[in-house]
Amino acid sequence: MVEDSVLLLRAQAGEMAAFEQLVERHQHKVFAMTARMLRSDDDAAEVVQEAFLAAYKKLPEFRGESAFGSWVYRIAANYALMRLRHRKVTAQVEEPEGGPEFNERGSLIDEVADWSPNAEGQTLDAELRNAIDEASAKLPEEYRQVFLLRDVEGLSYEEIATATGDSVPAIKSRLHRARLSLRAAIDRFYADRAS
Amino acid sequence: MSATSTCQDCIDLLLDYVDGELPADTKAKLDEHFHGCQPCEDFLATYQATSTLCRRSLAKKMPDSVAAKLHDFLRHEISKDRDGER
Ligand SMILES: [Zn+2]
Repeated sequence: MVEDSVLLLRAQAGEMAAFEQLVERHQHKVFAMTARMLRSDDDAAEVVQEAFLAAYKKLPEFRGESAFGSWVYRIAANYALMRLRHRKVTAQVEEPEGGPEFNERGSLIDEVADWSPNAEGQTLDAELRNAIDEASAKLPEEYRQVFLLRDVEGLSYEEIATATGDSVPAIKSRLHRARLSLRAAIDRFYADRAS
Repeated sequence: MSATSTCQDCIDLLLDYVDGELPADTKAKLDEHFHGCQPCEDFLATYQATSTLCRRSLAKKMPDSVAAKLHDFLRHEISKDRDGER
């Protein structure tokens, strides 16, 4: 397979077919991210178009310090965040629900079941998938975005900070809260199933 | 943090612990707590598994119709762009 960097040089030289190949290679990941962020396949389809067109127009400026994939990814994340900002009418100050409880000495109160081996299993249970879908949809927006960008999409804290305009400590704190909330949801799922 | 750390101390610092971002002495205290506290050890394992499970669970593929539209859109826009340059 021809490497992205080679296709990129050809695309920069004006070869449309090379650019199209790059698009085909990265469109699924970019679409998946924007669809999750925007919770709408239609909006995601538009953002993907905007992002790849913007990437095409910026091709001459692209120096290849980063991979083409992560570059386009960041462009798309920015477009998606811009849309979300427009959508947001009322500011939420909610906090995610769920998280561990401690006694007055700071010890965990509840028993903790270790279901972590399931994370590496071959296929994911459809019901578990649903439970995770629902739990992530319930997270307050700012928590959900950070969680998706970091844990699902694998962006760095700095990249998220650039995209959202928030500080790295704020991002980390939200990510931690989001993980605790999702962990609690998955924990409930396994507890319900066992009972 | 005091000499002995509680479950709560450890769980508050879990993100930096998992990222490997804690100062060595703080990390050593957490390691010590985890070794002596089964609930926290299990909590740590499930905290890490949460990211993995969510990443796998939220995977999504672009529908073919959307891919076809993207292809047409880019062809159209780019040819317009190129004509404009001439
Ligand atoms: Zn503990």
